Amino acid sequence: MEHLIEDLTRGNVTEVKVVLASVVMALALYQPLLAAVAYGRVRLRLLEADPASWTHRAVGGTILVLTVLVAVACLSFYEFEDGGAHAVFGIALLAVLALKVLVVRMGGGLSRLLPYLGVLLLGLFTATWLSSAGDFLGVG
Amino acid sequence: MRRPPHWAQAAGSLLIALAIAAVAIAVVTAHFGPTASAELEAREERMEQRLEFREERREQREEAAEERAESGGNSGPG
Repeated sequence: MEHLIEDLTRGNVTEVKVVLASVVMALALYQPLLAAVAYGRVRLRLLEADPASWTHRAVGGTILVLTVLVAVACLSFYEFEDGGAHAVFGIALLAVLALKVLVVRMGGGLSRLLPYLGVLLLGLFTATWLSSAGDFLGVG
Repeated sequence: MRRPPHWAQAAGSLLIALAIAAVAIAVVTAHFGPTASAELEAREERMEQRLEFREERREQREEAAEERAESGGNSGPG
């Protein structure tokens, strides 16, 4: 797995991981606006609740795929050797992400939890990014 | 003012997401500069070639000097 990732990234594992994580972070910052429009908390002239909700799900799906890719690269290439806060935030992030997907799939009364899970996820995305990619870029 | 159809709203918001991703890629890639390993490998390769070339020229000079010394030794009294 380690060699496959190194081959796919042509030896630039850290750089590719930082770029992907930064794209995820940027998209994660766009999600609350779409959610606010979808829930009717923010009213925009050019965007109604239904299309905002559709885009929120589409972007969320993209974030999910990219996050899993970054996590696989992170775990198979670096394992837990650097560990620390980044590993804790990363594991919590994956757990909350899985929980949110589960709640979206189950629907019903649990849907009330989605805004809270969304805010929690944004916080975890920020903490995970700052403790790795942000640190690498001199932001964290 | 009439709102655009839903598909246009969805396409527009998706385009914004794509633009956000593109800006993130551009900013982070610009931050790396020429430190990508492909660039570093190319630089190392060029340096190795230069060193090999120097080494070859040094060996050639040494061989030429040895030949001169040998031929000089043969022509002397003995």
